Amino acid sequence: MTSSLFDTVSRALRWLRRHPRIALVGLNVAALLIAYDVVTRPGAWFGPQDITWRRSQINGDLYVGIDPSYPPFAEWTPDGIIGLEADIAREIARRIDTTAHIQIMGFDGLYSALYTGSVDLVIAGLKVDPAQTSWVHYTQPYFDAGQVLVSPSGAPIDSMRQLDGKTVAVEVASAGDMAAQRWSRRLGALTIERFMLPDEAMRAVQNGAAAAALVDTVSARLYIEEHPDLRMAGETTVPDGYVIALRKKNFRLAEEIDRALADMIDDGTLNAIIERWL
Amino acid sequence: MDLTAPLPTKKLLRAAGLVARLLILVWVLKAIAPAPPIVRLGPPQTVHTEQPAICVHTRLTDEVEEWKIQRTLSMVREMGAPTIVEFFPWPYVEGERGEFDWSHPDRIIRHAENQGLDVIARLGLVPHWARPPVHEKVTTFTYLTDEHFEAFADFVRAFAARYRGRVDTIIIWNEPNLSIEWGDRQVDPEAYTWLLRFAYAAAHEGNPDVTVLGGALAPTTEAEDSLYGMSDIRYLERMYEAGAAEAFDALAVHTYGFTLPPQDEPDPDVINFRRVELLRAVMERYGDGDKSIVITESGWNDDPRWTRAVRPGQRIAYTLDAFDMVAAWPWAEQLCIWIFRQPLDLHNRRDAYYALVSSDFYARPIYEAIQAYARGWENPYAP
Repeated sequence: MTSSLFDTVSRALRWLRRHPRIALVGLNVAALLIAYDVVTRPGAWFGPQDITWRRSQINGDLYVGIDPSYPPFAEWTPDGIIGLEADIAREIARRIDTTAHIQIMGFDGLYSALYTGSVDLVIAGLKVDPAQTSWVHYTQPYFDAGQVLVSPSGAPIDSMRQLDGKTVAVEVASAGDMAAQRWSRRLGALTIERFMLPDEAMRAVQNGAAAAALVDTVSARLYIEEHPDLRMAGETTVPDGYVIALRKKNFRLAEEIDRALADMIDDGTLNAIIERWL
Repeated sequence: MDLTAPLPTKKLLRAAGLVARLLILVWVLKAIAPAPPIVRLGPPQTVHTEQPAICVHTRLTDEVEEWKIQRTLSMVREMGAPTIVEFFPWPYVEGERGEFDWSHPDRIIRHAENQGLDVIARLGLVPHWARPPVHEKVTTFTYLTDEHFEAFADFVRAFAARYRGRVDTIIIWNEPNLSIEWGDRQVDPEAYTWLLRFAYAAAHEGNPDVTVLGGALAPTTEAEDSLYGMSDIRYLERMYEAGAAEAFDALAVHTYGFTLPPQDEPDPDVINFRRVELLRAVMERYGDGDKSIVITESGWNDDPRWTRAVRPGQRIAYTLDAFDMVAAWPWAEQLCIWIFRQPLDLHNRRDAYYALVSSDFYARPIYEAIQAYARGWENPYAP
């Protein structure tokens, strides 16, 4: 295989040596194509420009779409929009030398606002929507709202495998319930106890009726805040990431916001914001 | 040119070879192209249910692929719901005045019939030719003025006549007490009553056995002079004052529970499930208590990040309780759950969390719970 490829290449090179004019024309065409690609890339001289990024840098503003109907993520108060998402938006804006101008809107209108340019980005508990990826750039998740195991601090459970032969408490018909049903088929013996609300499932763990509860992260954080005898597993069993949405054509802004968010994760700022609200 | 000369055999053979190769190419291309799915109706089906009041609002208007229509309706049947509400927009059928294209409604109704389902047809929206030209006035799809009420009535008549004996219940318009559903104008109960009169007469001309549902009012507490809408209770009173009693056979009602259980007491200032009882009281007060109510939209939402939603288990419990309550109300006929399935999963819209089935036909727990309730099985999601 290798020798035949080598022979083919050798033959092609010999042919080109015999036809130097064609080789020269070919080289020129290739050089032109590469040059064309370089100068028309996004942000290059003749390529598309990210005018939103330029505007934000000249005016020092960043327009952020938020749905303030979901405390503690975002809430409309007499003092303005507060919450986890508002704080993340303000911090990102600060890191790219702008000021966040928060625009409140209904959840169902967020994508339309982004599409029409009323806002530069949307941060409102959005999930990656495959139907929108042709024009929307999604950042990495800023919060994982998925299903997480909650267990007593003295008898920690970090994975579903540890629950073999034990009882898990779940919120009925939730994603945690579905996941527990899947795991009951994988494990030798897993008993599932269903409760109407996540708090009831976690209470069952406190009472010793279950070894762990598989509930959503928001409920878990709020409950554990008041019940420090419980703890959350380090990772979610069923991830459900909330992401920031931007227009794909704002490639420079997207790049800068991706970087700002990554920096916030690395230096612990994001976690501090989450801890402040949950 | 000497026509008697023999044809050059080589050329002929070459041409024949070329034609043969082209034919083979066409055959290969046809063979590798995906064949359109063949949808056969199959033997007629029957709905098995112990709860005939169960009904779902489907959304097949925007469904392009026929197999998805069939799959949706077969899942409705398997769930044990004998009735669906489906939307048939006027502009989709009569895109140009007097030119009717019934192909899509025909397809939906054919499949519904095959699955043994009754169809409640919701008629509405306005074609471009019944609205002012855009250079004169920018209008929405719900903008209809009184000079075109007769044109709408003509469509209602044509629909009722075409599907006589197959679709015998028709809803006239949708939520006319919201300005967004009334052409982004201030709502007008008197104008809607006028429209209802035209449509009622036309529907009965087309099909004397038809049941015309009026209202389909949205539950709202908006004040009478609000720009967004008007309280459904006050709107219904004004409809009666305008003479609506003679313009519908039964009242269509939309009632949502939001965060409240179905047992929550009715209150004019609160939007809850039992708000329907307040509308019932208006009907009785205006001497129209003989007519029944069909709840054509209802349900609870389990969006994890909406303050007006409930938890999935609560949604199941509330929905099943609501079915029990409707079965006990002698004046209520059906409870139609919004919504069975959306053609496309809208991950970031509230409606995704009203659906019983995902767009790829994954049955959510609420589906299984309603199915168990309808069939008399044990609730698989009882806490």
